[in-house]
Amino acid sequence: MNAVKEIIWSVINNNINLEAEKWLEDFKQSPDQSLQVAKVFVMLPRKTGKLSVAINEDQQKALDTAGYGYIRNWTIDRLSRVWLLSNLSLPDKEQLYSTLERLFLSAEVNEAVALYSALPFLPYPEIWVKRCAEGIRSNIGSVLEAIMENNPYPAAYLDEAAWNQLVLKAFFTEKNIKLIVGLDERANLQLALTLVDYAKERWAAGRQVNLQLWRMVGRFINAEIFEDLKIGLQHYDKTEQRAIALAVAESECQPAKDYINTFPELKLALADGSLNWNSL
Amino acid sequence: MCCSSSIARDKATMGEPEAFDISAVKGMKFFDPHVHMTSRTTDDYQAMADAGVVALIEPAFWLGQPRTGLDSFRDYYSSLIGWERFRSSQFGIKHYCTIGLNSREANNESLAEQVMEILPLFIYKEGVVGIGEIGFDDQTAAEEKYYRLQLELAKEAGLPVQVHTPHRDKKKGTQRSMDIALEHGLDPYQVIIDHNNEETVKEVLDRGFFAAFTIYPFTKMGNERMVEIVKQYGAERIMVNSAADWGISDPLAVPKTAALMKMRGLSDQDIELVTYRNAITAFAQSGQIDEADFNAQADLTEKFEGNTILRGGQQPRPDKSSIIIS
Repeated sequence: MNAVKEIIWSVINNNINLEAEKWLEDFKQSPDQSLQVAKVFVMLPRKTGKLSVAINEDQQKALDTAGYGYIRNWTIDRLSRVWLLSNLSLPDKEQLYSTLERLFLSAEVNEAVALYSALPFLPYPEIWVKRCAEGIRSNIGSVLEAIMENNPYPAAYLDEAAWNQLVLKAFFTEKNIKLIVGLDERANLQLALTLVDYAKERWAAGRQVNLQLWRMVGRFINAEIFEDLKIGLQHYDKTEQRAIALAVAESECQPAKDYINTFPELKLALADGSLNWNSL
Repeated sequence: MCCSSSIARDKATMGEPEAFDISAVKGMKFFDPHVHMTSRTTDDYQAMADAGVVALIEPAFWLGQPRTGLDSFRDYYSSLIGWERFRSSQFGIKHYCTIGLNSREANNESLAEQVMEILPLFIYKEGVVGIGEIGFDDQTAAEEKYYRLQLELAKEAGLPVQVHTPHRDKKKGTQRSMDIALEHGLDPYQVIIDHNNEETVKEVLDRGFFAAFTIYPFTKMGNERMVEIVKQYGAERIMVNSAADWGISDPLAVPKTAALMKMRGLSDQDIELVTYRNAITAFAQSGQIDEADFNAQADLTEKFEGNTILRGGQQPRPDKSSIIIS
């Protein structure tokens, strides 16, 4: 993590002026950060500006290798705030928790985005679990995106119920499902059942279903889910049929596989290997 | 209550708006049993009154973001029985409310404990017609705990319960809400299960509960689907509401749905049940609704604690078509 923080600092350095750099350095060196952190955190964009960061090739490569390549899409104030939070030197865990909790409680939208973006960079990862679950209850799109998209923290630390809530809410709020970190690893039966109920509800309302939904269902197809999939295969559009076929191909449910084979074009598409979750 | 969907709202994707022709239901009275007026403007009150809404219920809910302290809850509950009721009366609309701790904020347990302590101060106040809106959102253990505690409160107070069912995992959440209400010995006839859809309505009605439907753009029921539901299940124990709030929503959802039902051939009697009578039947079990109160003329000179929504010399109905504001 220290290596990553160094790259991030080099990116910040390239994107702010000398005055801002000195201001951040001064804070980092200051003996009692707890008195100043709130003020520094809140006023930071006034010093750094709010432009998108520019990243050179070496930095990008290093970040990609470490799994943080996505920060190339951040603004400089967001990146600087995350750096600030991940470098706090406070006396203990309790003080860190109460300091950040205070920031969360009074955060405006951009501050909240930075705070949730910082979760994977903070020490004592286990103490932020409830806060992360609370963030998923937000109704503010960019806050949800900061938690759901390109954020490795939720998959690593949330319990199953909170994780399932994150995935469901991502579908409901039309987030980019492909950007959820750990989607396939954390698929589970409970989530699959809930998503199938959701698909049925959408069908009943005459609405379409996000095709990525079936990606989390495949491995858990049982006799009960198979009955519901039949409805989708019989009534809905060709792309949805293909997504369901792909899910069935990932399952162990032989009757479902046999059933798919009764659709010549689906059988063919699966056989020639042209179907995958990214191409859908 | 809406979600933060990223809906493209340019004109090309929205299509041409259709004019709402109220004449199909002119002279009918409507009751909107779920609308969050604290988030709406006086223009909305005026439009609702013009469209025939004579009374409404404002359930206590969250504010779009979580409150951080007890006093915010206290002030909010006070506003529902105070300033908002007065504002409504200025347009001749009788305002009732339900009081409760919403499911989302039940997850902040230390605050939820404090809120539970002040709820008894509010639920017996005049015009409080139920405990609501309570129930499940994420379906966490904390939500279940405070749902159960508030069901007990409702039972003790003899008040109806207005149950918010979750957007996500709705079918299971709805079933669970009903199971728990029955487990606590509530009469299903005193419980209004809200935000139903095609997947939940049958079981809710079969088990003897009231089934409310929220007509809300994009995320909940559309009113064309609603017409089909009434055709299929009849009008008994079904009611529609707008749940209009701080999201993109429509405070005229009830009269509009009535107009659509009329145009699609439903009987006047069924329309009245679904858009007026059933809600009154359900919530009047609180002993707090008297239809005679609905006809009160708006007294525009009335004041609330010295304040009035009419600033000095302002005409009661401004001419919105004029560029001059005088």
